[in-house]
Amino acid sequence: MRGPHAERAPGWESLARAALRPRRVAEDPGVLRRLLAFELEGAPYAVPVERVREIVRLRPITPIPRTPPDVRGVISLRGEIVLVIDARQRLQLPQAPPTRSSRIIVVQNDEGRVAGLLVDGVNAVLRVAEDAFRLTPPGEPGAVAALCRCGDRFVSVLDLERMLDVDPDV
Amino acid sequence: MARRRSRSGRTSKTEQEFVSEAEEIIERMRGGLADLEDQRAANDEVDPEVVNRLFRSAHSLKALAGLFGLDPIRHLAHQLEEILDALRLGRVSLESPAISLIAEAVRVFATLLEAVGDAEAIEVAAAPVAGLSEQIEAAVRAARSGPEVVEALDVDPEVLRTLTEYEEHRLQESLRHGRHIVLVDATFEIDSFEAGLTALSAAVRSQGELISTLPAPDDGSDSRIRFSLLSASSLAADALAGRIDVPGASVRSAMRRAAPRAPAAATPVEGADGLPSLQSISETVRVDIRKLDELMNLVGELVIQRGALGDLITTLQSHHATAWIANDFTRVHKELNRKLKDLQTAVIDVRMVPLHQIFEKVSRVVRGLRRELGKDVRLEVRGADTELDKLLVEELVDPLMHVVRNALDHAIEAPAERVARGKPPQGRIGIDAFQRGNHVVIAVSDDGTGIDTQGLRARAEARGLVAADETLSERDVLELIFAPGISTRLGVTDTSGRGVGMDVVRTNLTALGGVVDVKSTPGSGTTISMTLPITLAIVQSLIVCVDEQRFAIPLGSVLETLLVEPREIQRSRDRELLDLRGEALPLRRLSAEFGLGTPPPEAKLFAVVVGIGDLHMGLLVDRLEGQQDTVIKPIQGPIAAIRGIAGATEIGDREPVLVLDVAALVEDPQRRREAPCP
Repeated sequence: MRGPHAERAPGWESLARAALRPRRVAEDPGVLRRLLAFELEGAPYAVPVERVREIVRLRPITPIPRTPPDVRGVISLRGEIVLVIDARQRLQLPQAPPTRSSRIIVVQNDEGRVAGLLVDGVNAVLRVAEDAFRLTPPGEPGAVAALCRCGDRFVSVLDLERMLDVDPDV
Repeated sequence: MARRRSRSGRTSKTEQEFVSEAEEIIERMRGGLADLEDQRAANDEVDPEVVNRLFRSAHSLKALAGLFGLDPIRHLAHQLEEILDALRLGRVSLESPAISLIAEAVRVFATLLEAVGDAEAIEVAAAPVAGLSEQIEAAVRAARSGPEVVEALDVDPEVLRTLTEYEEHRLQESLRHGRHIVLVDATFEIDSFEAGLTALSAAVRSQGELISTLPAPDDGSDSRIRFSLLSASSLAADALAGRIDVPGASVRSAMRRAAPRAPAAATPVEGADGLPSLQSISETVRVDIRKLDELMNLVGELVIQRGALGDLITTLQSHHATAWIANDFTRVHKELNRKLKDLQTAVIDVRMVPLHQIFEKVSRVVRGLRRELGKDVRLEVRGADTELDKLLVEELVDPLMHVVRNALDHAIEAPAERVARGKPPQGRIGIDAFQRGNHVVIAVSDDGTGIDTQGLRARAEARGLVAADETLSERDVLELIFAPGISTRLGVTDTSGRGVGMDVVRTNLTALGGVVDVKSTPGSGTTISMTLPITLAIVQSLIVCVDEQRFAIPLGSVLETLLVEPREIQRSRDRELLDLRGEALPLRRLSAEFGLGTPPPEAKLFAVVVGIGDLHMGLLVDRLEGQQDTVIKPIQGPIAAIRGIAGATEIGDREPVLVLDVAALVEDPQRRREAPCP
């Protein structure tokens, strides 16, 4: 088994679309899984590549009244109006204004619903072997599904269902 | 709609096309069948046109099913043709089991269609076909044998022998109904006889029924041709002669003796033109509504690009060096604007369908129900050609049906009771549709009991929706029929409420951007008006600004805008009011609603007066930014509906603008009153 390695991937957008679904992959332990790694508060996080529809630069976000604070607002995406969730807020990290490297990762959940995740910056597509995944240690925020060893660092792999679960009553 | 969508998972595109076309045919059959039942109930003569229409439907269905290899449908359609043929030839009568067999066949068709795409389900659905076919065959066989020769006519027996069985039957039927049989003779030039014959046939049809066109014995001329039109009319030959204004035509009676009975006051029967044409030549194309949605989206995006272009022009104009380009640009922009408007109108126009489709459905339900409920009701439909977006029409069916059912079930009294109240025994339900500006109004009125407001209030109190000591205007009380949990009964005679209430009707219509209103006079009737936007595709909106955030308010619900000085705002308890021409207009600050920053207290504000039905309210905003065409889109994301926000729209290339859900905003304080919660 090769050691996991990071690759700079200029073409990862198309890669992401073509990626296999994890369930089928998981049956074969020898196959690598692809994760899109991004940064929040200097720490590495990741989501499965096949859930990523696209990554867009920061664009004007319209705030929506009567929504919880982790709902950043809506953006327009080629005619679609997409809800954007602030990943820092969601994971209870300290607040920080968006920078030039901030990106919105547009993800799709199992039911095909689309939402944007506002992150500090997108790093790379990681290829990770199944056996590199570790269970979440206690104390991690609920939306972290697993930790994954990449070289000498642990990447927090997010559970998108929980990540996107907005409580509308707030 | 929903059913078709769920089916698409397991059927091919061609199957879907078959199903949708077949569904239309069956829908037509149901209509014809209902007409037949009416005729039977009224002891009327069988209208040949109704039977012919049914026959054509069966024939089309047979051909269609053959094309798609759906044998059970093809076989049953063939049997249906047989019995309809017997019916139009008068071999079986309406009193025979024929009608119930036809109804049964139509029902079986529907279940077969449901099963298309699933071989096993088809087999199950086809089970009754064999038995039903046998019954139909038996009914046709048992029917009395062909009609006797028409003896009452003074027509050459040779000629009579050339008549088809159907034509002979029509002659008999006409005689039975006391109509005059006449022969209209005319001679035409051979090279132009077609035009002349067409004109003559039309003239004959306008006065009665054209049964057969017979070539008459020629008069020895090679260049002329003579025809005899065997016709039936409520007019005698000499009276008819005066009505048929075709040069060279003569009318003579074909009766052997004087008319057997006094002419019945029958209306002229449309020409029954014999055998069906398999497919009428149609210039319409069936289009999936989703394709139209796509088209509409594209138009919407063009509209947005146009907005962006306008912004660019403004930028160009602001620089001295580029101002001259801006002028040229403006001209092009204007032209683009005009063409885009045309395109928009054209696309919206394609989505428009007349309301008569759903009105027909409603009439059918009314016919069924009045028999079931033993009520004598006349349904008057006006404005059926009013057009509405196809999508809205689909969504309108249930609310409309509900309202009409209510009227029939609860509002219209039994005949005896009506007479006792000094009303005509026959009740009346009216459906009026008309266009008002960018909206279509559908009003359902009845002359029944009216709403018992006292009873309504008592029920609302019992449910804790209203406090016993609360003073409510008559209007407020009527509004209670839309409160959840209130029985839908609109009259006082009913003892059981229906599960679904008027609150569902209101919810459904509000979701479509529509409103529903009620007016009622105790003892003399109720009118429920449903107002819907003509289309949801593109709406004009007023753009307002609160705390530097823009919001769009659909213009359909904006009544006027006012500039408001802070000192003009009055406070009454915890509410703010404005004196609007002597009426108290409740105000709401959008900044407070949405938790946005407020302008300095001395700043002037704008009140956007919005109205949903008869509820008016002023929304206070910082600034008005003008009107815009907006395409309202749903917000994609893991979030349920946000109260007060209908969606978002793009204007120019800037951030999306939220569109206010005016109905929800106006209803909010009402809801608070109805269900006080912390």
